[in-house]
Amino acid sequence: MKVRFDFVIHWLYAIIWALLGISGFAMVGAKYGWLLNFNYGTADYVHRLSAAAFVLITFISICYEVYRAIKRDDKHLAWFIFGRSGYQLFTFIVSLILIITGALIWICTELEMTVAGFALLVHEYISYIALASIIWHIYMKCHALIWPKKAEAKPNKTQGGGKDATKTMV
Amino acid sequence: MLQKPWFKFFIWFLTTFFFFLSAGVIISMLKPGPSESEVMQFMMGMMSAMDNSMMGVAMNLESGGLLSRIIQLSSVIIIPLVAAGIAGGILIRLRNKGWE
Repeated sequence: MKVRFDFVIHWLYAIIWALLGISGFAMVGAKYGWLLNFNYGTADYVHRLSAAAFVLITFISICYEVYRAIKRDDKHLAWFIFGRSGYQLFTFIVSLILIITGALIWICTELEMTVAGFALLVHEYISYIALASIIWHIYMKCHALIWPKKAEAKPNKTQGGGKDATKTMV
Repeated sequence: MLQKPWFKFFIWFLTTFFFFLSAGVIISMLKPGPSESEVMQFMMGMMSAMDNSMMGVAMNLESGGLLSRIIQLSSVIIIPLVAAGIAGGILIRLRNKGWE
């Protein structure tokens, strides 16, 4: 079984985004605290550790895109998180904004409170947009949720045995 | 891979997670409050995070001299680095267009 690099990165990114989402939104304010039962400490731990993994995956993906650009590889990678147009470009921009503002929040709480406040505002509102975009993305790709049909007991010889078209996706 | 039942379970789980998360965020936004007990619980959570979580560790590190200097140095070189990155990207794209 051959698993593609862009496929693995896509799902790793999804898992990390889920962890960042639940822990991040639980820290937005007192109204949101119930999401993680007001356990701010756990949310903080999970958010910081997942953020490190998020930055690593983003860095690897950017390096891979640069490598492809240098090699003049223009093949469209359907599963890759970053790309040159559409939702992939949106993900790239949003990821960079989230990383930069996240780093500012982490760094500037001691150095400059104004910068940290502005970064917090941008980080929060971009997260809302990103979460809405994820729901839209899932809706657009909902064919991935369709359960595979069981193989037929008697394959039809004239039609070549009912080959599933979605198998060619990965 | 996409046709494996366990992977379908995983996709369903993640999808459901994101739908519940967005529902939770919408509920949090639109619900009245925060109530006094919610604020108290949140503040207590924050206070305990200062002692038991990475937040406290990070704050102690940031007040240390070496890390502060590294951060200041990083913020000085970040703008030239970003500019160099953009210039590099444009160069690569121009070169690729020129070779077509």
